Amino acid sequence: MIVGGGTAGWMAAAALARVLERSCEITLVESEAIGTVGVGEATIPSLPAFHALLGLDEREFLRATRGTFKLGIQFRDWRVVGESFLHPFGPYGLNVNHELFQAYWLKRRQEGHASPLEEWSVTGLAASQGRFGAIPSQNPSSPLRQLSYAYHLDATLYAPFLRTYAEGRGVRRIEGEVVDVRVGPAGIVDSVGLRDGRSIAADFFIDCSGFRSLLIGEGLKTGYVDWSQWLPCDRAVAVQCESGSADLAPFTQSTARECGWQWRIPLQHRVGNGYVYSSAHLSDDAATAGLLERLEGAPLSNPRLLRFKAGRRASVWVGNCLALGLAAGFLEPLESTSIHLVQTGLARLFALFPDRDYDPAIGAEYNRLTALEYERVRDFLILHYAESQRRETAFWRHCGTMALPETLAYRRDLFARTGRIVQMEHETFLPASWLAIYAGLGVWPGRYEPMIDILGGGDVQARFEGMRESMRKSVEALPVHARFLNEFVPRTVQ
Amino acid sequence: MAGSAIRKIVIVGGGSAGWMAAAALAAVVGRRVEEIVLVESSQIGTIGVGEATLPTLRAFNGTLGLDEIEFIRNTQATFKLGIEFVGWNPERTFFHGFSDFGPDMRGVSPHQAWLRMRAAEDARSYSDYSIATVAASLGRFAPPVPNRESVLGSYSYAFQFDATCYAAYLRAFAEKRGVKRIDGRIVDVRLRPHDGFIEAVLLEGDRSVSGDLFIDCSGFAGLLIERALQGGFEDWSKWLPCDRAFAVPCARTGEPTPFTRSTAREAGWQWRIPLQHRTGNGYVFCSHYLGEDEAAATLLANLDGEALGAPRLLKFTAGRRRECWKRNCVALGLASGFLEPLESTSIHLVESGIGRLVELFPDRGFEPKLAEEYNRLMARSYESIRDFIILHYYASRRDGELWRYCQNMPIPEGLRHQIELFKASGTVALYDSGAFVEPSWISIYFGLGVFPRRHDPMGDLIAETALKRELARRALIVSGAAQSLPKHDAFIDKYCRANRQLDQPLSSLH
Repeated sequence: MIVGGGTAGWMAAAALARVLERSCEITLVESEAIGTVGVGEATIPSLPAFHALLGLDEREFLRATRGTFKLGIQFRDWRVVGESFLHPFGPYGLNVNHELFQAYWLKRRQEGHASPLEEWSVTGLAASQGRFGAIPSQNPSSPLRQLSYAYHLDATLYAPFLRTYAEGRGVRRIEGEVVDVRVGPAGIVDSVGLRDGRSIAADFFIDCSGFRSLLIGEGLKTGYVDWSQWLPCDRAVAVQCESGSADLAPFTQSTARECGWQWRIPLQHRVGNGYVYSSAHLSDDAATAGLLERLEGAPLSNPRLLRFKAGRRASVWVGNCLALGLAAGFLEPLESTSIHLVQTGLARLFALFPDRDYDPAIGAEYNRLTALEYERVRDFLILHYAESQRRETAFWRHCGTMALPETLAYRRDLFARTGRIVQMEHETFLPASWLAIYAGLGVWPGRYEPMIDILGGGDVQARFEGMRESMRKSVEALPVHARFLNEFVPRTVQ
Repeated sequence: MAGSAIRKIVIVGGGSAGWMAAAALAAVVGRRVEEIVLVESSQIGTIGVGEATLPTLRAFNGTLGLDEIEFIRNTQATFKLGIEFVGWNPERTFFHGFSDFGPDMRGVSPHQAWLRMRAAEDARSYSDYSIATVAASLGRFAPPVPNRESVLGSYSYAFQFDATCYAAYLRAFAEKRGVKRIDGRIVDVRLRPHDGFIEAVLLEGDRSVSGDLFIDCSGFAGLLIERALQGGFEDWSKWLPCDRAFAVPCARTGEPTPFTRSTAREAGWQWRIPLQHRTGNGYVFCSHYLGEDEAAATLLANLDGEALGAPRLLKFTAGRRRECWKRNCVALGLASGFLEPLESTSIHLVESGIGRLVELFPDRGFEPKLAEEYNRLMARSYESIRDFIILHYYASRRDGELWRYCQNMPIPEGLRHQIELFKASGTVALYDSGAFVEPSWISIYFGLGVFPRRHDPMGDLIAETALKRELARRALIVSGAAQSLPKHDAFIDKYCRANRQLDQPLSSLH
């Protein structure tokens, strides 16, 4: 039984329907009276794999969700106003391990060759030139094999798209508002009660009720681990507008603002915008005005206000109840991780699939892995704020001086002093991503990995220069994003 | 950076750890440092007993560019497909092989599929799906083919070798690449007064050897890391109470098995490591439960062939150095910690210590963060291997004083969670993707009779008849593939027999 029909709920329904193949009964209860959060969504490159699991057609998906391709995130004004950098998906270099690339690049930089990091990534090059195509490249020797991509999609269209899929595979949808959670003596949820008096029982419940967290929070009284000391943004105001640009950018934009940051997510037909801010430092009205004054085109909707608190549920699996999506925790969309965390939450559910014994050891393992994953993402997000050099408002001064979580302080200092990027287990972001943020925000180690000297000088340089040249050539042969999208999914972009 | 590069490395101690470090550093950083010196005393013996290893040794040898055949001939090595455990589970002997139990079935681990069919009357043993186990039981061996998709490409192997020969072989390698060997006994260590860094080691006869980076391979003594720098020791004997071992080689009596054997005994366990020319044996025991004389007698009474000398006693305490890297000193091998050789991890820990040192190679500034990271990584490796070894004792069904103690002792929290999760679901939780991965844990759990209360419900999506057919097909393929391999001894004869004659008088062998 899935409670809640937003993106998380229908993703869960679709994946369960696909994997369980009607071997057990799946019900989703949602209320049309309750809106979903569903603002324009950006994703990371794990989503194509999720669609492959479901057997979804990529063209159909893009058509249904008015989706576009995404190659990374452009960060503007984050280090200081006027500077920008790219966090592209995928690795740097071509078929070279990250440590070696990083050592080479840092050494070159120390020797005075400063070229932007994104020029060393196929994905980065394509993003900065607004190009995309050939998915996936079939030619095994082509540099485009390393092109890594995700999507921008309209979340209000994504959930219905998955709903059609799930209902077609036997998921039963119940219209109704959950008002009551009945918990048995052993802490096992027996049933949920609806406003119209109906009661629905199930063996296992998945709480996708969003911030309200009806089952895991209200019903089972599971506590919340508050991370707002490190991620002080607690509001967002979102609005859609007409695109002000003739080009369709294949990347998300994140622009640092006075008391937070603003997103720009280009879809086929419009642009999603939002201002994520800290209510302690900025009023809702000022944030809304700040957002509207910076829109590139006419607004297409009224601004919507969202409230949240960064953190995670102390336990996301309790007895026979599992929380996914916003019910499990909230991390601001700075690195577009929300949909990804639903996806990995589902993957973990399949790896640790419950039975009716509800053995607590299984939930304990699920919770252990989830906590690690959330903390790693949290640390990655905090890094963006902590390393910014902006100091013009109390908000940025707080970010620049706050004490970091121990795990982040350790890895940040290790990088700054030795050039090592620690890869911890259950890490969403690989060393290439950490390097993009360190470099973009100006954290430079005084050292590079000695390996590069050990491997010898001349050959390595020739190899890397050759690599760059072949990446550049193959990217220049790609079509621009809008043209490719129009060919791939005809008549999508006007 | 170049201005403060390490100029001189001093390695203290010339056992396997010392010469492994010397050879690897000469090969990898030799061109960047001016001098690598190894100090050892020809009067101090090394611990060199017959030594079993993990497959990672092949990667280490590969980094050095060693020729595998030449290495085998020089170290009297045999091939190792895993470890046979006798007496740990009184009901059955079991094997921990260097292979998995086959590919996943529709995303479900093969051991989960097997668990579902376990109760069926025609069910086979789970070990029938492990190619390394089946080949070892037939005494057969050939290196895996390069194709990972083929069952004959899905296993791995290690070596059993004479550690003294290995050290000598690496010494020749290192000396050829410019490592300078100094014979002398260390009597003192001189520290820089202002920061406590090691300045020089002082040798008998008023000699001293100075350097920038010191590698302590002095064994249990920890001459530099402990005596001079007080790196500290974390004692794990409450979980691993064995604190003594007697070691003795014996004459070989038959074809060498392509595996190490561990036989549980009253107060510990006995190893059997077959080499080309003889067999290494040892009894690891806990002195609290067994006297030394009795232990030696038990060992001598349980050899396959004539003992080649008197048993040698080793004393140790399980645990690890708190700071393996402190200031300008890095400890490797026994100076960095001790875990009993139940899973043949000693050489592996030396390899990973050297690998991490190269990755985190310092300059003369000795950035403390490098040491901190090194110590964090080594602590994780040590702890994950420690927990794996504790599992063998804790879950053993053997009777006896030591065994009852181990079955009832409180165990580390992480291991407790791992065991509970396995019993509940058959899932293996891994904390560190280091030495031992899922198939290894399953081999020990199943071998000791720890079975989960359920199988993965995802496995139920496969129709029972199809699953049975698939399991039968796989067992058939594994058994056919194992049969197709040559006998272990025949393979050695054909490709890599050591130069020494087998009919040499035994007295010349030691």
